[in-house]
Amino acid sequence: MAAADDAHLLERLLKGEQQAYKELVTQYQSAMRAVAYAIVGQRHADEVVQDAWLSVVRSLAKFEGRSSLKTWLLTITANSAKGRYKQNRREVLLDDLPSPHGTIGDERFAAGDEHWLIAPFAWHQDTPEALLTENELRECLEHTLLSLSELQSSVLLLRERQGLELEEICNLLEISLSNVRVLLHRARLKVFATVEHFEETGEC
Amino acid sequence: MLTCKEQVARSSDYLDGQLTFRERLLMRHHLMFCANCRRFIRQMRLMQATLRILPEPEVPDAQGLAERLASELKRNS
Repeated sequence: MAAADDAHLLERLLKGEQQAYKELVTQYQSAMRAVAYAIVGQRHADEVVQDAWLSVVRSLAKFEGRSSLKTWLLTITANSAKGRYKQNRREVLLDDLPSPHGTIGDERFAAGDEHWLIAPFAWHQDTPEALLTENELRECLEHTLLSLSELQSSVLLLRERQGLELEEICNLLEISLSNVRVLLHRARLKVFATVEHFEETGEC
Repeated sequence: MLTCKEQVARSSDYLDGQLTFRERLLMRHHLMFCANCRRFIRQMRLMQATLRILPEPEVPDAQGLAERLASELKRNS
């Protein structure tokens, strides 16, 4: 969102306009939730987001627009998650959980020259809108996203859905760039395998 | 020359602009000659675009939360 839009929304928020709060919540809650989910896990994510919203309202007057509103909200969320659950903070888990349709693994390549043994199947659709007209694929994707570890799915959603830069993700979640890259790549290959499976078999 | 397996291993870094200049050249060179890997990268991009527009779950009770936040503001000012 552009700085001018942020400023305008902020003005309405400071006036206490209820509709402005609704817009704020609708627009940013899922990004905030992804940050909380990555840091404290599913069990405490909602609580952290609630706390974060209260901190946001209390410090609204102090927002100076040095970062975008979104970055500011996500930083508050990350701080609220880290502060409240510091003792529970888990190590960065790069463990890979099994995914419903696997991944693009070693078995897809020839042992010797490492060329494709089982080439990528050509998908029938070539736009995201066309792919998502299949309700079943939509459900199938959601199922795969839920199968990812909390950290893996958060990193994927923050990158792909929320469009955050890798550096922003590192800073918010306090994990190294190389870990972000690993998490993202593994998550993408699993989602890729799901779409491929669906395109190939028509089933989830 | 990269192998297809190496191409796949580096694909996310390629898509995220994380490769060095030299690595990027190697990648482009491989893609120029390998139709399977071109298809793979094209479909990776399509998968990314699909996640971007995948509908997000709705915020439960956005209205209620908005009301609470607006009244919290009044209490604080």
